[in-house]
Amino acid sequence: MTDAIIAARGLSRRFGETQAVDAVDLDLPPGSVLGLIGPNGAGKTTLLRALLGLTRCEGELSVLGLDPRMQQTTLMQRVCFIADTAVLPRWMSVAQLLDYVAGVHPHFDRARAESFLASTEVTPKRCVRELSKGMTVQLHLALVMAIDARLLVLDEPTLGLDILFRKRFYEQLLNDYFDDGRSIIISTHQVEEVEHILTHVMFMHKGKSVLFSPMSALEERFVELRAVGPDVARAETIPHLGARTMLGGKALIYEDIDPDALAPLGELRTPTLSDLFVAKISGGQSHVVQ
Amino acid sequence: MSSNDSRRWFSLIQRELREYRLSLVWTPFVLAGALALIMLAGVVVANQVSTFGEAVLSAILQAEGEGEGLELGVIIIDSEGKSASPPATSGLPAVPDASDPALQIERVPEAEEEAWNFSREWRFSPPGRGDRTAESSESDSPVETLNPLLQGVHMLMLLVLLVVSVHYALGSLFNDRRDRSILFWKSMPVAPREEVLAKLVVCLLVAPLMFLAASLLAQLAMLLLSVALVWRMGLDPLEHVLGNLEFARLLLDQVGGWLVTALWVAPMYAWCLLASAAARRSPFLLAIAPVLVAMLLESLLFGSSYLASAVQNHVPHYAGARNAVGFYLFGPDWGTLDLWSMLLGLLAAGLMLWAAIWLRRHRWEI
Repeated sequence: MTDAIIAARGLSRRFGETQAVDAVDLDLPPGSVLGLIGPNGAGKTTLLRALLGLTRCEGELSVLGLDPRMQQTTLMQRVCFIADTAVLPRWMSVAQLLDYVAGVHPHFDRARAESFLASTEVTPKRCVRELSKGMTVQLHLALVMAIDARLLVLDEPTLGLDILFRKRFYEQLLNDYFDDGRSIIISTHQVEEVEHILTHVMFMHKGKSVLFSPMSALEERFVELRAVGPDVARAETIPHLGARTMLGGKALIYEDIDPDALAPLGELRTPTLSDLFVAKISGGQSHVVQ
Repeated sequence: MSSNDSRRWFSLIQRELREYRLSLVWTPFVLAGALALIMLAGVVVANQVSTFGEAVLSAILQAEGEGEGLELGVIIIDSEGKSASPPATSGLPAVPDASDPALQIERVPEAEEEAWNFSREWRFSPPGRGDRTAESSESDSPVETLNPLLQGVHMLMLLVLLVVSVHYALGSLFNDRRDRSILFWKSMPVAPREEVLAKLVVCLLVAPLMFLAASLLAQLAMLLLSVALVWRMGLDPLEHVLGNLEFARLLLDQVGGWLVTALWVAPMYAWCLLASAAARRSPFLLAIAPVLVAMLLESLLFGSSYLASAVQNHVPHYAGARNAVGFYLFGPDWGTLDLWSMLLGLLAAGLMLWAAIWLRRHRWEI
């Protein structure tokens, strides 16, 4: 608890009538990769900004033992973020950008950033405005990975990039950056691409945290039953989170249920994150009790 | 830690100079270069001594002091090349019109007061200074001599500086919010306080430094040209140009003058930064409109104009002939400083900066 990267209790942020973030609790141990997953407008960005001290919020909050609302600047020495694709200042050249970060950031390793960039088309003389979106993200990632930070926050880092860039992005993040001492938070709605690198997951919907769990615990909590033929009707009578049709039958997702009771009805497996997400968010109200 | 801090500030200032490279770095030096070129052209193009030379010489001559025995005569050469020499004693006889192609100055022995006045017709000096020259060369206060000429160059540079730095201040806390790159700046461990102060430092010190340096270079070029010119006319440059120049005084006036000016105009820049930090659409309108409306309301409701005079005190404008060095970018003469007005201005500047920092921290989203 004391060495948690993030400890938040009842974190809330309201914009006028909209409750953008609604009483979110979050405890993140070091060395974790948290996927923050939710539809557009779910409050992901606002939550992340609250964690980064970029917006006001109510509730208890400690990131790396600091209060982001009061100590944002100090926090930024150990926290990095990529808030959006293509927010690097367009007038700067790559070399100027490196100069600046090297000048103001105490934990930046310029040689490391340059070695990351050496294998790309992002050469020092080029101006950010000439770079493609993918190259801008590469550059930003190289900057961020050369900073010895304890927490990296990525808000939709790969939005609008093609599949090759996205794959490369996450591979590089995992291979060259991530280790036991560091934590990463990734918000996205492209669930499939991050699923395999996550250690924790949080689903957000309308500002609320609908689910927060280590990935390893999902297996025990959730089960997907693939029922065919007459078994579908029987399976549907058991309270479930959601269901979707598949070839010749239905896939139903159950929470906190004894797998042995379901086993006779069909094939059991752990639901994918995206199926679970859909079940949690859209199926939530209508299917729980039948 | 301190070397770390200075490196940090260097980076912050360097970043500003790089973003506004065109207006803060290129403009002053290109302008200085252009001025030097114009002066050079003035000397080279005319095969007789140009009006520029005349201006230089008249500036020298008037400063040589009354009755020193240097006399000026003007020979007007008409298109046929025939010389017509106006009588040197007749006050303002044949004042050559501006279109007259060539004027030649030569040394005439025998000093006379009227010829002295004659030379005054072409004297190059900032408007409003003319009558004062003689009187103040008696009183020992300001440097006269060649300095007015150089001050003219300096004045032009300061006017451009003013436009450039107001433009800079209005954009500096707004443009990055508009293009969202503020999200990158905020991901760096730089406090909003440091950001805003760095921009103020650029307005008050760095940009003026650039323009002062360029201005001094242009003035130096001008000086060298006048040395060449005087030398060509067979006069002793050491005596007539360099001897008429108090270089240290000029430097002190121009550099020190800016430092005092900076104290006076700080509230204006702070206001521009505040408008820049607060604006959602146009920092320019936000900077201008509320002030105008408030001044209007004040005069309508109370019939007073405290705000207007306060604004006038702290916004650079032509200071008129009463000023110590002819032109300063602030209202009052700094011999007659209104200390309270300055202190109040600085206090207001502090409050506005605090507000700009707060906005930068909490209300940065457009």
